Amino acid sequence: MARPALPRFQELQAPGSWHTLDFISDLHLQAAEPATFEAWRRYMGSTPADAVFILGDLFEVWVGDDHAQQPGFHADCGAVLQAASLRTPVFFMHGNRDFLVGDGFLRACGVTPLADPAVLGFAGQRWLLTHGDALCLADADYLQFRGEVRQPAWQLEFLTRPLAQRQAIARGLREQSEARKRSGVPYPDLDGPAVAEWLGAADARVMIHGHTHRPAEHGVEGGRQRIVLSDWDAAAQPPRQQALRLTRDGFRRVALD
Amino acid sequence: MSNPKVELHIAGYGVITLELDQDKAPKTVANFLSYVSKGHYDNTVFHRVIPGFMVQGGGFEPGMNQKPTDAPVENEANNGLKNKNYTVAMARTQAPHSASAQFFINVADNEFLNHTAPSAQGWGYAVFGKVIGGTDVVDRIKAVPTGRKGFHDDVPKDDVVIEKAVVV
Repeated sequence: MARPALPRFQELQAPGSWHTLDFISDLHLQAAEPATFEAWRRYMGSTPADAVFILGDLFEVWVGDDHAQQPGFHADCGAVLQAASLRTPVFFMHGNRDFLVGDGFLRACGVTPLADPAVLGFAGQRWLLTHGDALCLADADYLQFRGEVRQPAWQLEFLTRPLAQRQAIARGLREQSEARKRSGVPYPDLDGPAVAEWLGAADARVMIHGHTHRPAEHGVEGGRQRIVLSDWDAAAQPPRQQALRLTRDGFRRVALD
Repeated sequence: MSNPKVELHIAGYGVITLELDQDKAPKTVANFLSYVSKGHYDNTVFHRVIPGFMVQGGGFEPGMNQKPTDAPVENEANNGLKNKNYTVAMARTQAPHSASAQFFINVADNEFLNHTAPSAQGWGYAVFGKVIGGTDVVDRIKAVPTGRKGFHDDVPKDDVVIEKAVVV
């Protein structure tokens, strides 16, 4: 398996006034899942955190910021972000589903874009934040696709197409995703040696990521750790709506109402 | 009573022999043997091949036509068997108890697929047997070139066909 070149790590230092940080990911917000949207809206309006970090796949799909300017589900999501950002800083990292969310939309919502990966200085430690898909090295076909669609040229070409055409492509992608789910998973996990390499390069002891929907804490050689966030599904029994809450005393998983 | 064994005859590759763990995974083994005995797996393909992870098959004919299946089987991933290299386990959708015909052969120790909790995220994937002959065949299958085909990733560029599956 070819090991890709190490990425650049965006550096971010938490101000000393921050005591509680929340991390969420993989909400896959979509109009067809109103319960998850409602749970997220309540959470964003009530979290006591000093900052909220969204580590990828907040949205199930994103076909362009212009779409969110029209009344509808994505505009409603933008309003939630905007209201939350007035209470507390919100950071947004792209995932494999919502990689087309633009800086323009985020700026309009008062949300700060976060590069993938990023290193956060907090509580005297360095925390490596990533969505996680770039480290699933076994999925070579997906990584090739990822490499293509993260090119500015590809994105420019796509985003200048008529909205109706982009929506049709998005519907196709969703059908593709549904067909994949029906056809049977499992999906690969993050590559262990690559995780260790990223942690080393970032000089961080802990990685926090989403993407796999397999919440857990994994040990990494050298006394280091990888924390995996839960996905959200408020309609599931029991519902999954959870934030990882980090303080100077450590982290815990908070189940949300 | 000795465990049942099933041979997968792979066109152009050879034979993979599976030993099925009837004691630890009785429902999954009965389900698998039922598909074997009615010829479901004959002329199906390994449609998802990811080296370093697993090779998956038993659900599609050549050309990626999905075959009809019977009712899903209870997920026996809590039976203590682990997703180790050369074990065979049931594939499924994201719902824990949704496995029907598709199975996969682990080609690495995939600890993260093991049962950890009786929840949607922690059920894991039910191991029900292991490869006892033809590991070289598995090794050659996992090395085939793959690509996107229709709605699917990691599909072998040239079909890897199970000619027949037989109980021995």
